[in-house]
Amino acid sequence: MSQRVNTDLINDLKQFGMNEDNACFHCGNCTAVCSLTEKGVVFPRKQVRIVQMGLRDTLASSVEPWLCYYCGDCNEQCPRDAKPGEMMMSLRRYLTSVYDWTGVSRLMYVSKKWEFLFIFLFAALVLLLSIFFTEIPEIGERLTAEGGVALNKFAPVDIVHLGDLVIVALLSFFLLSNVFNMYYKVILKTKTKVPIAAYFTALASTIWNTASQWKFSKCDSKSRPYWFIHLLLMTGYVALFTMIVVFLSWFQTDTIHAWYHPQRLIGYYATIGLTVGTIYFMIQRRNKIKEISKNSHFTDWTFLIMLFLTTVSGILVHIFRIYGLALPTYYMYIFHLMVLTPMLMIEVPFSKWSHLAYRPFALYFTELKKAGQV
Amino acid sequence: METHKNTGIFFTQSLNGYYSKINLEAITSFAKQIPNVKTVFHVTKDVLTDSQKIETILKSKEIERVILVGEYPGLHKTLFTKAIVSAGLITDNLVTLSFREKGIFDEKDTEKAKLLLEHAVKGSQFFDISETGNNAVNDQTLVIGAGIAGIQASLEIADAGKKVFLVEKTGTIGGHMAMFDKTFPTLDCAACILTPKMVEIGQHSNIDLITYAEVKSVSGTPGNYKVTILKKARCVDLNLCIGCGSCSTKCPSKVPSEFDSFTTLRKAIYIPFPQAVPNKYLVDKENCTYVNDPFHINAATLSGLRKKNVPEKVVEKLKSLKGKSFNTEPDFIETLTNTLGENDWKKYSDLLYENTGKCKNCIKFCPVNDCINLDEKDEEIEINVGNIIVATGFTPFDASRAEQFGYGVYDNVLTSLELERLINASGPTEGKITLRTTDKKGNKIFTKEGKTPSSIALVHCVGSRDENHNKYCSKVCCMYSLKLSHLIKEKLPDADVFEYFIDMRAFGKGYEEFYERINNEGIDIIRGKTAKAESHNGALLIRGENILESTLIEQQVDMLILAVGLVPNNDSKDISEMLNIKVSDDGWFVEADSNTDTTGTYTAGILTAGVCQSPKDIPDTVAQASAAASKVLQNIMKGKI
Repeated sequence: MSQRVNTDLINDLKQFGMNEDNACFHCGNCTAVCSLTEKGVVFPRKQVRIVQMGLRDTLASSVEPWLCYYCGDCNEQCPRDAKPGEMMMSLRRYLTSVYDWTGVSRLMYVSKKWEFLFIFLFAALVLLLSIFFTEIPEIGERLTAEGGVALNKFAPVDIVHLGDLVIVALLSFFLLSNVFNMYYKVILKTKTKVPIAAYFTALASTIWNTASQWKFSKCDSKSRPYWFIHLLLMTGYVALFTMIVVFLSWFQTDTIHAWYHPQRLIGYYATIGLTVGTIYFMIQRRNKIKEISKNSHFTDWTFLIMLFLTTVSGILVHIFRIYGLALPTYYMYIFHLMVLTPMLMIEVPFSKWSHLAYRPFALYFTELKKAGQV
Repeated sequence: METHKNTGIFFTQSLNGYYSKINLEAITSFAKQIPNVKTVFHVTKDVLTDSQKIETILKSKEIERVILVGEYPGLHKTLFTKAIVSAGLITDNLVTLSFREKGIFDEKDTEKAKLLLEHAVKGSQFFDISETGNNAVNDQTLVIGAGIAGIQASLEIADAGKKVFLVEKTGTIGGHMAMFDKTFPTLDCAACILTPKMVEIGQHSNIDLITYAEVKSVSGTPGNYKVTILKKARCVDLNLCIGCGSCSTKCPSKVPSEFDSFTTLRKAIYIPFPQAVPNKYLVDKENCTYVNDPFHINAATLSGLRKKNVPEKVVEKLKSLKGKSFNTEPDFIETLTNTLGENDWKKYSDLLYENTGKCKNCIKFCPVNDCINLDEKDEEIEINVGNIIVATGFTPFDASRAEQFGYGVYDNVLTSLELERLINASGPTEGKITLRTTDKKGNKIFTKEGKTPSSIALVHCVGSRDENHNKYCSKVCCMYSLKLSHLIKEKLPDADVFEYFIDMRAFGKGYEEFYERINNEGIDIIRGKTAKAESHNGALLIRGENILESTLIEQQVDMLILAVGLVPNNDSKDISEMLNIKVSDDGWFVEADSNTDTTGTYTAGILTAGVCQSPKDIPDTVAQASAAASKVLQNIMKGKI
């Protein structure tokens, strides 16, 4: 099999945040310091080689970038200051755009204009829909008997849920088709022969790793708080996402439950996870504390800020509702949706959020590949 | 030379902020008042692309000669030539003066820059300027550092019949080469080459060898330098010592041996190694019990005095001081004078000194009278020389700085120099490669009784080619590692030997062939730098990547050898200031011209040789030393500098 050396790839990757291209002299120090490298799964030096050679197909078929959690050891000890960890980060952005068959992802990674245009489009759409289809209830109907705001009078949960499901259907379609594209590039196109049984045996370790982020925690003791807060953010997010998408009618109620009611407890857990997480990561990025937070692509900031705004507006809706502030509740609710919708629509299938899908699948495919090699 | 033409000086643009390092303002104002200088320009970027603009300037100021000055003015010569031709002048009237080429580096060079500029305007050749004139040359030479470079240069000058002062910091000459077992690529015995030369140095009538000494200051002018040398107290008379070793046998103080790269212990009175030149003992005052112990008066002192028939009256007075220690001698003298009174102190001071718990074993057992004097003080001497050769060598990279390998943490992580001593037949293990052992007193040393390792790994580029330490390549590590691999295999044919490298730099005559040879000797030579070593089941686990196969290596070995790079001595900066020569950012001395004058410096009569100028192997070092010696002889024969 011969492949042509292609120097364009490096220039392309620079748009995805890579900043060092030619420093590496291939000593292998990065691979050896990495606590996640194991026999058969070797990175990041191999990927540097692939990038320098410009082997786009080989790159598209590699899962290794997703196995790196960017502890930064390789950057710190690199004798050439070539920042292999930063390259792996850029590769994850690049691969996201490679898996996405619509091309939207690439547009948004490469150009700020497109990213913001998409965000504003969706926000405007939500605003228009709310202007046309919602009506602020009469003064007497704004509050429930308990003194809370009657949110469902303003935004009936069935309709919102219906909208939710439409969004979820769209997202799932894009995301799953992208994941299939990934599967195609990683397994099918490379003609890896995977025994059927492996598809089932690999599931267990993948689920365990995804739920606990065990591999992430192996990334050097230095990263432990980072791992813990990321886990808090991730589980909080997943909990809330499940509530909104699957159980909205149970979650968005006008009744004010006691503070120990599961509905409120789950809400609080998610809120704490999201607030602490987003603030922590924003501080990390702003002050460039760890290797991972030293170089931020603008999409990293967009993701964090939108998630933070969603969380804050969600909290405010909750507070306003409990204390019977009707109008603020309604307006804040619209604002909440205006941030949430574009965040979901853009981030989930096309941008940084998608690593929530690609990372577990990369782990899964790695196991499949290993089984295929034997 | 044409000297009456209207001259214009053009300062060209510089790269990398070069102008911010030099005092451009002072140079400019000086340039303005040089006779015949009509105008001084600082040329901006837009002018540098447009010959017409230059032509306009030339015409408007009626300039006939152009001096193009700057960091690299040659870059703009074509453009200015065009302008000069269009302005109707002849191209002979364009003179370029590159500051960088002429060694203008920082503010200290302002005067030199002014001088160069003045001569450029006058039209004199640079050759005439560098000829600093009519300084008579003293035909004595100072060589600083007695490694192989200093030895070679000294012998060549001395053989030509001229006097050489060879100054060496340690107690023996020989330098690092004396520590090596074999040389690459011929695998010659290093000592067999070096020791005859060392002996010759010791016996040469034209060489004045000054060991255990440092050059303290240098003054004077080229051709006539006045040098002050600090001779550290050796405490042993070089003329009287017969080298019997009785003193060392009885010395109670043991410290790690520098010559054996700290793999074993030596005494505080010692001879660095059996073939040392001069082959005489010296006292390491820092570790000598006599020098460092405080004076103290105890029961033994009092009974000792009684035995010597000191009157009981005096002993009684001293009883009040029983158990007391004095950290300094003046303190001791003052207290005893007060206690005993001036007269008694004077009368019994010798006996008191003798009986205050001081060691003096070496003096007691020395068969020669007055040979050892532990109270000897450092001494300064002054000499006059015409030329100075700097051959101060290097220091091995401090391996503990590369923390990932655990040097100093794990017992069997060694530097290449330490292994070199183990392999050497006159080393601490008599040539056996053994694992580190702990002696009765808890010192971790190597002995021939130690266990034999069954697997050894060597890691290249420790501290070299690394942004975190030194960026440069130390040049010799690849080859000496191959040599060490071969020697290990020779001593331990059954041991597994692994060698991890980034790039194999076999650059010299016969070196690539040597690599090929070692490659076929059953040594696992793997491309890929090792990243870390960890303790594992009592052995070491090293982790690396095999680059050519893209596989992870986790190799368990008994011993890890770090091929440490070469680092400038920490006093190289001081030496450069003392001698007014330059050091590079890396800390190596800067040569006058990297192509055509690698031994000269910007100061006349001062030359460099060997590794102190840049890392190099033995053949290159010797070649450079010979070159430096020949330069010195040139200067002496010319008689003027």
